[in-house]
Amino acid sequence: MKCKLNRTRKGAYMFDAHAVALGPHGMLAINIAMLSLIGWALWRAEQRLSSGSDLILLVLLGVFAVSGRILLDPIPNVQPVTVIVLLAGIHFGAARTVALATAVALCSNMLLGHGLWSLYQAAGWSVVGIVGATLSNRLYVDGRMMIPVLAGLAAVSAFVFDWIVSLSALHSLSSEVFLVYLAAGIPYDLLHAAGNLVFVAWLANPLSEVMTRHIAPPTLMAVRDPVSSRV
Amino acid sequence: MTDSLKPASLAVLVILLISFPTISTEWARMTAELVDEEENPHFGLPDIWDGRQVVCIHFPEAEAPEDFEHGRTHIDYDGSEFMSDDEWNETGACIGGFSGHDYGWSLLNAAVNSTGDAFQLNTTQYSFGLMIDSIAGVNPSQMSGNFSGAYWSLYHNGALSLIGITELELDSDSVITWRVDTW
Repeated sequence: MKCKLNRTRKGAYMFDAHAVALGPHGMLAINIAMLSLIGWALWRAEQRLSSGSDLILLVLLGVFAVSGRILLDPIPNVQPVTVIVLLAGIHFGAARTVALATAVALCSNMLLGHGLWSLYQAAGWSVVGIVGATLSNRLYVDGRMMIPVLAGLAAVSAFVFDWIVSLSALHSLSSEVFLVYLAAGIPYDLLHAAGNLVFVAWLANPLSEVMTRHIAPPTLMAVRDPVSSRV
Repeated sequence: MTDSLKPASLAVLVILLISFPTISTEWARMTAELVDEEENPHFGLPDIWDGRQVVCIHFPEAEAPEDFEHGRTHIDYDGSEFMSDDEWNETGACIGGFSGHDYGWSLLNAAVNSTGDAFQLNTTQYSFGLMIDSIAGVNPSQMSGNFSGAYWSLYHNGALSLIGITELELDSDSVITWRVDTW
């Protein structure tokens, strides 16, 4: 670690944190600490919400997903977004998870790099969320998350997402080379799958609990055909 | 199940991350063999570079730096220009005569350093690897035309490289080529 002392106007020396050169591991440690802080603060904020605040919770989940993707960027292909959209699909349904997936892809890419691939990332995470919504009855049974099934689905989702995003390469690669391109990415797909397993193991139950608390109760519909139909 | 999954998944991820550089390099070497290379990647290059390593940089004609606007200039490993091929159907330069470089990044740096400031690189490090933003001030992301986007694309022995420049393993007579591709 290198640092330097800068002389201030008054002649005193002061420590200049901008001159501290952190190695990649130091930077990653800081990022993980910041993500933990964000997660803790969002969890505290959620506790003050009244139950049924599903839209606000979606925003909080989006903030955590975007922060997680940006802060964990030094680790190739490990980020919490895939598991979060999968859980959002299970608890909030297809439409909301597609909105969440697209917003997370767009917002995080504003910092990580926005381009053609953003559309494919949004599509990839949307597909993962829609699969979660479709299989919600098998993944969330009797008020409990089926962790082994979810873990398997999260691992498969890593490959599905990566391959959907890889389709963007067809804009510049021939279809023959594309299969080799997919094969070349398998180590990165494995990292994504392993990362998803970690997020399922550590986050699925607490996040699921929070989401369940905020699922909006069905609104009571007014009866439109009242008196006239009575005998 | 959840309790055992927590340490187990962490252990798998940590082991995978530690072994990732080795796994990805070996895997890249295997998959690279699935791409057909040119039979003679040294075609059109000076004979004295036969059996040696070469870096070629091809600019789009309208974007070529002033000194490299016509055909292809050949520059030896010590920086001396010794031949140019005005008839070559691409615009740019080849810097060659190198040996002993195991990886593309090492060869590219040797080529850039041997020519002074002529082919200065601008790069961005991403988690998935190094991206070349500009070579000799030519930045494809700022180009406009009948395409959606453009980028510096890497070729190894005439075939599109699916491996980044830092992980690309070289042969003793490799020719790596940078040219601007579009989508």
